[in-house]
Order: sequence, then structure tokens, then C-alpha cells
Amino acid sequence: MIRKIIIFILIVACCILQTTVFALQSVTSVSPNLMIIITISIAFMQGKKEGILTGLISGLLIDFTYGTVFGFYGLLYMLVGYASGFFCQVYFDNDVKMPLILATVSDVLCNFIVYVVFFLLRGRLAFARFLTGIIIPEAVYTALMTLILYRLFYVINHALVNNQKKGRQSLWIKD
Amino acid sequence: MKKNLNFLRQKLKSQHLLIILAIICIGLMAMTFSSGTNGSVRQVTNQFIVPFQNGVNKVGNLLGSWASGFRNVQALAAENEELKARVGDLTEENARLSQSVSELDRLEKLYALDKEYPEYTKVAAQVISKDPGNWYNRFVINKGTKDNLAVDMNVIANGGLIGIITEVGENWALVESIIDDESNISAMVASTSDTCIVSGNLSRMSSGKIDFSELRDDGNVVTEGTKIVTSSISTKFLTGLLIGYVSEVGDDSNHLTRSGTIIPAADFKNIREVLVIRELKQTRENS
Repeated sequence: MIRKIIIFILIVACCILQTTVFALQSVTSVSPNLMIIITISIAFMQGKKEGILTGLISGLLIDFTYGTVFGFYGLLYMLVGYASGFFCQVYFDNDVKMPLILATVSDVLCNFIVYVVFFLLRGRLAFARFLTGIIIPEAVYTALMTLILYRLFYVINHALVNNQKKGRQSLWIKD
Repeated sequence: MKKNLNFLRQKLKSQHLLIILAIICIGLMAMTFSSGTNGSVRQVTNQFIVPFQNGVNKVGNLLGSWASGFRNVQALAAENEELKARVGDLTEENARLSQSVSELDRLEKLYALDKEYPEYTKVAAQVISKDPGNWYNRFVINKGTKDNLAVDMNVIANGGLIGIITEVGENWALVESIIDDESNISAMVASTSDTCIVSGNLSRMSSGKIDFSELRDDGNVVTEGTKIVTSSISTKFLTGLLIGYVSEVGDDSNHLTRSGTIIPAADFKNIREVLVIRELKQTRENS
């Protein structure tokens, strides 16, 4: 139960940080995608079910605060969490390479989907500009943040799981 | 009952969970499309989130000003010396200039008369958060219905139009900026009142420009530097607010209209404080 609450607080904290500290440095420049980082971190450490739930909550938070179509980011991030959950099998220590790859790839994929759904369908065809102007800078920035945040999430999660001594089955669901 | 629930939770496979939640998400999306009412959920969420964002920003601003304060001490000492020298020069210059002040006064009165639009009542607000993604240019300000803000109020800052309020809550308001990719506003050339459409374009974001199109400019008077303001035929934007200056202009392939890019007058890179004009175009016209 404590774990769930703490992870929920972490998600909300990421959302607040992403909309304030990182975004307000300059309103037009790119900010990193902390929500993706927490989704893939939890999914990678805890498996599919928790990945799904973390992704869903992160996505819905974005939808509820800034989204135009409710449920879109919820669905997108949930799928990210689910997909990252598959890599839980290769998780064994605080190796940062895997989450780094996961975060970068899923960030690029998510942004590509956002581009197709919200921009390409409105006739914005200059994909190269979007790629170099937004997708790649955000992916790089997100990758950098993953290096820092994943270790933080790892330490927090490790402490919490050890505390409960229940292994890393889906505690969020079971409890 | 509890045992049943636990059993269910253990049996529930991740695929099933995914499918169930995906259906819920798709249902939410369908709900948005069919009813278009997403306001109430946002009201509730922002009720909780906005105070935090406010706090984080206050701390951030405080730390920022401290840090820059320490950094500046040495620079300030050097600057002080330099300024002392300049004070001498300036007192001399001041004596000379005060003669022309009376002339300026006269011209200023003329200018006030010439002003096309009256002064609006405005309220200052702080930007407290921004869209978490990088695809949209919307932000939340820390004033809402408590300060008599309403949807469709125009937002200006450092010299130009910033955007328009699209949603409002008790202590927050969501502003869509004019550089957002989905923003389209009716504008006109300040000197000739030829109308055009000004639209944000994300792919031009890095150059800091926005597009304009559909400009009927028969005399080809629009050149680089021409002033573009909000048009009188816009239903939401008050007339004559400065949008920006033309940067490039070219003929469209139909040879009837012209289009090009505009450099916005407002500095979108550092929006911290904005002014909200507390007057709606509709009520203004009715009264």
C-alpha cells in the first residue's frame, strides 16, 4: 500500500516538475519527458501490470491537466508501460543501459504517434522539421534525464520492495 | 468477498488488464469527441495540482533570484564605477534634453488622441505551468474566475498579443498562445486594414516566426517590417492589438493573395508575467 502511494506521489511530482521547472526555463524550448521515464522505469523494474498502471496514471494526468482528447496520452503511455514490462525479464541490477534505450525509443515512438495523429492529419507535412526541431532534441534530453532519474527510482523502488519482502510480483494489483 | 477479489487480482493477466484499461481510455476519447466537455475533470485535477505548481514556481523564482544575486555582486561593483562616470555625462545631457520635453508633451497629447482603441482594464498574472509535451504552446496562469477572468479574454505581454484564454477555473486559466500550431486568428495590416489570417506553425518555432496567409494586398504595400494587428472582424480578439511585424512576404501561386511570416512582437521565450485584458469583444460590442 505504501509503495502504491509513494509511486503515485512520484508520478504527480514528475508531472508538476515537467510542467513547471523544466518547461518554464523557456516557454518555446524543449522539455524532457519525465512521465515516460517514470513509466518505463517502473515497468522495467516491476513488470507489465505495474507498467500498465503507471503509464495509465501518468498519461491520464497529462490528459486531465493539458490534454485536448481525454484518454489519448493515457492509452499511449499505458502501451509504453506494457511494452517496457516485457523487458522486466532481463532486469537484475541497476544497469542503466536498458532503461536508457527504452526511454529514448518510446519517447521517439510516442512523439511520432502524436505527430501523425495531431499534426500529419491536419496537413502539417514538414516531418523533417518536426523531427529535428522537437522529436530528436526531446529524445536526447529525455535520455540524459533517464541517466539521473532511473537511479533515483531504482533506489526508491529497491528500498520499498525490500521493505515488503514480497519479491517483485505485481504488488500494485495484488496487495 | 475479499478472498474473491484477491483471487481475481491474481488471475488477472496483464493482457486482460491492458485491454480493459484500453477500452476505458478509448471510451474517454469517444466521450471527449461526442460531448466536448472535458472541463469538469480538468477543474477537479487543477484544483489539486495548481497550488503545487504555484509553490514550486515560487521556490524556483526565489532560488533563481538568489543565484543570480550572488553571481552579480562582482559584476555590479565594476558596473558601479562605470555608471558613476556616466552620471556626469548624463547630467549634462539632461540639461540639454529638458528643453525638448515641452515639445514632447505636446506630441504626446496628440498621440493620446490618435490612439485607435481605448485603454482596457487589465490584470497581471503569473505563468505557473506549461504543457508537458513539446507539441503545444499552452500555459496556465495563476488567476481565474476569482479575479473575474473568463474564457476568450485576450492575453498580452511585453508589447504584443500572447494568446487567448480557452479554459478557466477558480484560480487558474489555460491560455492558448498565438504561436500554437492550432491557433488561427484574424488579423489586419495596421496601415491599410487589409485582413489576413495569422496562424502558428510549430515547424517554424525554432526561428521564432509565425505564418500569415490570405492577405489581399493589391497595392503591394506590405513589406518587411509592416505592422500586423488583430482585425476588427475577429470575434474573439479585441481590435488593434499588436501581433508583430512582417518578416517575409511573397505572392501565392494564385496571384490574388499573399502570404509570409511574421515576427511576433511579444517575446515568447521568456513569458513569466502576462496581462489579461478583462474585456470581452462580444460584451464590448453589445454595450
